[in-house]
Amino acid sequence: MRLVIARCSVDYAGRLTAHLPMATRLIMVKADGCVAIHADGGAYKPLNWMNAPNRVVEAGAEWTVTNPKGETLTITIAEVLSDTAHELGIDPGLSKDGVEAHLQELLAANTHAMAEGLSLVRREYPTDIGPVDLMCRDADGRLVAIEVKRRGEIDGVEQLTRYLELIRADPALADVRGMFVAQVIKPQARTLALTRDIVCVEVDYDELRGIESNELRLF
Amino acid sequence: MKFRCEREVLVEALATAGRAVSNRGGTLTALTGIRAELVGDRLTLTGTDLDLTISVELEVSGDGDGVVVLPAKLTSDIVRAFGEGKVEVTVGDEEAEIVSGAATFTVLLLAPEGFPVQKPSEAEAVNVPAKSFATAVKKVVRAASRDETRSVALTGVLMASEDGGLRLVATDSYRLALSDLPGVSLLEESAQVIVPARALSELVRLIGNSDDTVAVRLDQGTASFSLGAKQITTRLIEAEYPNYRGLIPASQPNRLTVGREALLEAVRRVALMVQSTPTPIRLVSTSEQLELMAITPDRGEAREGLDAQYEGEDLTVAFNPEYLLDGLDATQGDEVTLQTVDGLKPALLRSNDDEGFLYLLMPVRVS
Repeated sequence: MRLVIARCSVDYAGRLTAHLPMATRLIMVKADGCVAIHADGGAYKPLNWMNAPNRVVEAGAEWTVTNPKGETLTITIAEVLSDTAHELGIDPGLSKDGVEAHLQELLAANTHAMAEGLSLVRREYPTDIGPVDLMCRDADGRLVAIEVKRRGEIDGVEQLTRYLELIRADPALADVRGMFVAQVIKPQARTLALTRDIVCVEVDYDELRGIESNELRLF
Repeated sequence: MKFRCEREVLVEALATAGRAVSNRGGTLTALTGIRAELVGDRLTLTGTDLDLTISVELEVSGDGDGVVVLPAKLTSDIVRAFGEGKVEVTVGDEEAEIVSGAATFTVLLLAPEGFPVQKPSEAEAVNVPAKSFATAVKKVVRAASRDETRSVALTGVLMASEDGGLRLVATDSYRLALSDLPGVSLLEESAQVIVPARALSELVRLIGNSDDTVAVRLDQGTASFSLGAKQITTRLIEAEYPNYRGLIPASQPNRLTVGREALLEAVRRVALMVQSTPTPIRLVSTSEQLELMAITPDRGEAREGLDAQYEGEDLTVAFNPEYLLDGLDATQGDEVTLQTVDGLKPALLRSNDDEGFLYLLMPVRVS
């Protein structure tokens, strides 16, 4: 990621023409080739930008960014105030469901909330088709593969079934059993789970967080 | 299998059955479809998401009995896009040809195997007057919870036998609505079931302004409601319902009596100030008048005075305006009474002109 703070003017020529007069701005040149010109305001939208793929030609004070459609972004730089570059590496992506991730974390720390005598072996137990949320041992020492969801639906049971099939293929882990944990489990998911000998457990997220609501409720 | 009917009739039937179609295919692709069964000149369209099933029967010109599963949204979009006139659907082995005027669409069918077929209920039907049932449902259904993660039971409406009649109760734990339908003996004495609020909302929509009767069948964990050629079947919620009787206060010392429409309008106006925020509105009751107030740190304030009769100590009590509006909207009659204990205990909204209905509302804590 290259970050250039400069006094510059910007001209876009393509489907239409647009001109940004001379002012101090942030020019971002991302590793994938995207170029974005930002003002000192707004959360995300640049004043002007050009997506990758494109070609950037720096000819002294004039940068020309050209995309395959022939559209150009011409940045005329009067003064460079800062020019730095950083290697950001591969982005791990957005964690979309904070509740689900947090629920898994809380359950890992409070395995007794799912069943008495359960102890954690590891979180994110790896398999060839993705990690099992929690791998635990029950009071009898038997392995328990646990899938954690916010809402327990049929898809989650199917997912856990696939993990169990894969784990049981290893003779040493053949007696692993499944547990499906969610804040609420739909009746169909529960029925499907029971036909596959998967135990269903509903947990209270607020209780796990130790939160006592300040809201007034009837009950 | 081939059928022909007016576009308008087919559009409405597809839309009605389509309201139960799962919007997420999940593991059962067939659930994104509408099952079409032709027997003679009778076409039955069915949509389901396993919890809720809606079927519509319609008269068509049929040729060859059969059953197929059509992709719900695509079929509905195509038929809706046609101009007025006849629509003809001809079903082949793997596709259906939908023709109207000069337009022809060939749509791939969904595999019918995954589509659940419900056996007709063998339970005896109880006929309920559609209009009064729909009115009672509309009054309570808005108080049901939409959040399944808290309690599945609260996403339903309790239907219970009460003094030889039917009682409907819904609560999301912040408010509770109760409506009695005297003389409607749907359930055996002291029996009760929890019906998903979504299914009842769909039923109200189907009933519309109909003066007909709804045939209700309760059978092995399901409830079905038939209205003419349309039928809704829903899985009942198997959970324990909160003891709502214990929540209704026996007596409350403060009693505010006010014009319902005037209060409704004033709440709507004052609530503009707190729209899309969690800020409540305050009802300041004194012997002279009632004042509504909305106070926000970043937008400003709203105040409105109202003529009202008030017996009790001077009191400020704050409510979520949306919940208060729901209660006022559901209550019938020119005047309503709001009975309170203090600013932290449930308030009871009732009307002398609507004896079978009550709305219990929890205040919001304010400093």
